[in-house]
Amino acid sequence: MKELFPKKQVVGFLFSLILTAVALLVYFLEMPFGVGMIVLLLTAFTQAGLQLVVFMHAGETKDKGAIYASIYYGMIIAILSILGTLLVMIWGYV
Amino acid sequence: MKVNHTGPLEYSTEQNNLNILGFWIFIGAEIMLFATLFASYFTLVDRTAGGPTGAEIFEITPVLIETILLLTSSFTIGLAVHAMRLANKKAMLTFFAITLLLGLAFLGVEIYEFVHYVHVGAGLGTSAFTAILLTTLGTHGAHVTFGLFWGIFIMMQIKKRGLTPQTANKSFIFSLYWHFLDVVWIFIFSFVYLKGMM
Amino acid sequence: MEFFERFAIPHPSPLIYASMVAIGLTVIAIIAGLTYFKKWGYLWREWLTTVDHKRIGIMYLFSALLMLFRGGVDAIMMRAQLAVPENTFLDAQHYNEVFTTHGVVMIIFMAMPFIMALMNFVVPLQIGARDVAFPRLNALSFWLFFMGAMLFNVSFVIGGSPDAGWTSYFPLAGNDLSTSVGTNYYMIAIQIAGLGTLMTGINFIATIFKMRAPGMTLMKMPMFTWASLITNVIIVFAFPVLTVALAMGTFDRLFGTHFFATTNGGMDMLWANLFWIWGHPEVYILILPAFGIYSEIIPTFAGRNLYGYKSMVFSMVIISLLSFLVWAHHFFTMGQGAFANSIFSITTMAIAVPTGIKIFNWLFTLWKGKIRITTPMLYSMLFIPIFTIGGVTGVMLGMSAADYQYHNTMFLVAHFHLVIIPGVVFAMLAGLTYWWPKMFGFMLNERLGKWAAWLVASGTIVAFFPMFISGLDGQARRMYTYSESTGFGIWNMLSFVGAGILAIGFVLIVYNIYYSTRYASRDIPADPWNARSLEWATPSPTPAYNFAITPEVDSRDAFWNAKRSKKSLFKGGYKDIHMPNNSGGPIIMSAIFFVLGFALIFSLWTVAIIAAVGIAGCLIYRSFEQDHGYHITADELKEMEDNNGGAK
Repeated sequence: MKELFPKKQVVGFLFSLILTAVALLVYFLEMPFGVGMIVLLLTAFTQAGLQLVVFMHAGETKDKGAIYASIYYGMIIAILSILGTLLVMIWGYV
Repeated sequence: MKVNHTGPLEYSTEQNNLNILGFWIFIGAEIMLFATLFASYFTLVDRTAGGPTGAEIFEITPVLIETILLLTSSFTIGLAVHAMRLANKKAMLTFFAITLLLGLAFLGVEIYEFVHYVHVGAGLGTSAFTAILLTTLGTHGAHVTFGLFWGIFIMMQIKKRGLTPQTANKSFIFSLYWHFLDVVWIFIFSFVYLKGMM
Repeated sequence: MEFFERFAIPHPSPLIYASMVAIGLTVIAIIAGLTYFKKWGYLWREWLTTVDHKRIGIMYLFSALLMLFRGGVDAIMMRAQLAVPENTFLDAQHYNEVFTTHGVVMIIFMAMPFIMALMNFVVPLQIGARDVAFPRLNALSFWLFFMGAMLFNVSFVIGGSPDAGWTSYFPLAGNDLSTSVGTNYYMIAIQIAGLGTLMTGINFIATIFKMRAPGMTLMKMPMFTWASLITNVIIVFAFPVLTVALAMGTFDRLFGTHFFATTNGGMDMLWANLFWIWGHPEVYILILPAFGIYSEIIPTFAGRNLYGYKSMVFSMVIISLLSFLVWAHHFFTMGQGAFANSIFSITTMAIAVPTGIKIFNWLFTLWKGKIRITTPMLYSMLFIPIFTIGGVTGVMLGMSAADYQYHNTMFLVAHFHLVIIPGVVFAMLAGLTYWWPKMFGFMLNERLGKWAAWLVASGTIVAFFPMFISGLDGQARRMYTYSESTGFGIWNMLSFVGAGILAIGFVLIVYNIYYSTRYASRDIPADPWNARSLEWATPSPTPAYNFAITPEVDSRDAFWNAKRSKKSLFKGGYKDIHMPNNSGGPIIMSAIFFVLGFALIFSLWTVAIIAAVGIAGCLIYRSFEQDHGYHITADELKEMEDNNGGAK
């Protein structure tokens, strides 16, 4: 039975619950918007990285270069598209 | 077909490796899909046109339940892949079934949530904000729904054909899909709900 | 009767009725011909169900040529209407429809399948692979594209064509201002074709990463394969944006949302933003394969190695990133302020740098080369100067302050045509001529080919250079007529003449295909151009399995080096080859997509639900299907190879 629950994944799961709890602080505590956003950004991206490495086994084969390239490229373009959209749609008009 | 018995079953043929890499690239595309929804959401979030705002309609309890359900299902599908690598078909199917049940429960809560939104006057046509909210959540929910059917078919195939290079490959790819949906939900949880209620 | 009224054309004209009759007659002729010659079985077995990348490539090619003529007729109609002031050949509504379909057809249904055709045919051969990574998905990609294209063209005779421009900006494209179903066609047909394109992107990245011949490291890949890899990377990350934008547009039109409306908090500018986040990378999706083709043709006919291989690769990687960071230059005048415009202005000018590097690399490749002017080489030589003028005017448009003067004038139209035509169209025609012997086993006539190249190039210059002048004088694009006092008449008449020359060029290309099919010698070597990359190491036309023995590569231009040192790339004996089975799945599923699309366009919900269930059924069938393909045994292979001369 024990062999079915590898330590790495159990710890990963607990860690993801802790990250969720930390993110919840922004709801339960009063904090400035900027601080809250930093907390959310940190917890969300850590959580995503955790899933990628611990659960999705992204680095286990010799294709890991292509896999990480695809994900990082996607993330970079995604973030730049979101920021650029906000610049063009909202921030640019101020 | 050449089968390589040294590594895990899901990587044992050339085609299997191709399938897994191809799916990772698909996940790259999905990142952009959701990024576009997020970009639109952030643009439209304050454009409520006199309709309800996020802070007025979001409820923390169902959101938290959904988050825990999906996080746990992501854990159990990981365990299913682990059991598959131990060639423990029974444990694998059990974890797989638990995953799908958790997914089903998630969907149930989400449907409740949608009904609630419509009930308090946040329908698709109310404002640009409600439209993009429901579209973003709906796109994720549609992915989960698709995953539920896909998962059931994979389970049926494993039951019938056992753990072969093909079924193992499909299960592994399904696990990637499911973890990815969890990651997307984390971002929805953080930047739609928590940011909205902050 | 009320039910059928929705299918009527809102603005009928004799031209449209004539086209209806022509389309009807063509369909009847095709069906009758296939039946009379008993070719239905052949068509189904050998083409409609094929998963062979070469045949899929050829089907893309013919679809692209067909669409080139559809889009070309639109272009001629526009130029004819504008040739003289106050012309009444087309009315405003018809003109709107024509420029809209011209743009969509040329970009989405002509240029895209054309690059898909050459990528499909060439890339697996260049890397020494048996097929693409997912052959059946490849067939699905093609059929989704094809059904999308057919659906879009149906708009012409059923329900009315889209008329809000190929960019389909809201609120013009919203229900209030575009009342016909035309824009529904736009949203849904492009969506279906776009799904196919996305799948191709995934397929080719996996293929190029994982299926290269032994010894071919990434930095030993032929330049066209590199260009295709980068193109597909851009496809994978750009097309999902289009998917979402089109879905949101569809929701606005069909389900009462207000994403892009001017009421209920909607934001019409968001459409422009999303459209161009996809749209600008799309420009590079079109141009990079073209650059790849020139990078194959120029070294071949200059007899020299490509100058600056590494800088070529590097510049494409930079382009792929920068292409996602310039989109706002399409709407500098929208009001987002000087700061935002400045950022996008700078990124726009930056992207000219890697492009310039490539131009210089081609010029240095030619330097001291023994140049052979063949038809493909002629197109490449004509491309460089015309494209450079088109590109430099693009940098002018990229300066946001100056753009207020150029924006939405004919100057812009001149710019992008002078980039896309020499960039994409010349490259496709060059590539078509270059790889034609590999596809069909005979060469196109060189004399006719060169005549056509000169006609197409001079037509391009005559048609588009005058627009720079009329644009700077203030002629706005997309205006269906103008008064005589503007003085635009002479420039537009010149453009019309240029369009006519272009048309003659294209007719000559078709005649060349006909002429060469009839008269060209079938007795040609596998490598008629004395070329450099692996696709020329296998017989023409290429057998289904591509290479009887997988080639082994130890350098860039391995085939070229092997020819010179008289070594063989093919080591070892024949082995069994695993081949994928043909499948009717892709065409059937895509046909159901067509039905679904049509039903959504006309809000026929019952039909839509039935079709959606049908698509789900196809997916379920595919999930449970077990298809392990078949094997060509070593003995069969030996027999086949002895018959066609064998790999050398």
